[in-house]
Amino acid sequence: FRFKDSLAEDLRRADLVISHAGAGSCLETLEEGKPLIVVINEKLMNNHQLELAKRLHRDGHVLYCNCSTLVETLQSMDLSTLKPFPPGQPEKFALFLDKVVGFQ
Amino acid sequence: TGGHTTEILRLLSCLSESYSPRHYIFADSDKMSEAKIHSFEQKRAETFSNSQFTLDRIPRSREVRQSWTSSVVTTLYSILYSLPLTYKLKPDLILCNGPGTCVPVCISALLLGLLGMKRAIIVYVESICRVETLSLSGKILYYFSDYFIVQWPDLKEKYPKSVYLGRIV
Repeated sequence: FRFKDSLAEDLRRADLVISHAGAGSCLETLEEGKPLIVVINEKLMNNHQLELAKRLHRDGHVLYCNCSTLVETLQSMDLSTLKPFPPGQPEKFALFLDKVVGFQ
Repeated sequence: TGGHTTEILRLLSCLSESYSPRHYIFADSDKMSEAKIHSFEQKRAETFSNSQFTLDRIPRSREVRQSWTSSVVTTLYSILYSLPLTYKLKPDLILCNGPGTCVPVCISALLLGLLGMKRAIIVYVESICRVETLSLSGKILYYFSDYFIVQWPDLKEKYPKSVYLGRIV
């Protein structure tokens, strides 16, 4: 299972995902509409990777815990409090770029 | 690299066919981006018949957490390498999103512009991972890009010259 090309299939079949704070993992999971618990590694606290996980948690899209509180989180979690994560809008970028470049 | 490639391909996903030919530049140490790019372009070719693109590798300017002094040397080497490539491609528009690889290419483009050989528009999109702080590439290119796009409001506040369009990947 170490390095699969894509976890997409596993993601689709999952009911709950528990992951580290990597942006790719978080975003892929949220885009599949799966509930996500992000586990923070305290030893990597200065890693900028946490920025996204913290923001997602602040906005109510993911649950948050560290290794020692994982079990407690799993026992007491209420997944219905998680808010759906709307997809990004590359169309807005395309519109912006068209104006910048002069294609209108 | 990895996440950057996925993000940039998403940015490209809604662009019209006027943005052609597309020249992808990535680090020589990157093993996965080539496949992702091919896959993206293949899908694109299903809709747009005249899809043109090229791929080029340049030496990676800096490894994660590489020391300052050695980073200057490796970045200079990458700039020397990317100058002839940028000169050959003469891009009208450069789109980048943060890996160290983009700095030498942008610097090359700026030099070409200064020398009157080709003026490219440089558009930088900071990664969605950057919510509160800019990446090192971002901190540098904030001053050298024509348009600097951030994806979270906190960054727009800290960097007022940036453009905020919301989440675009």
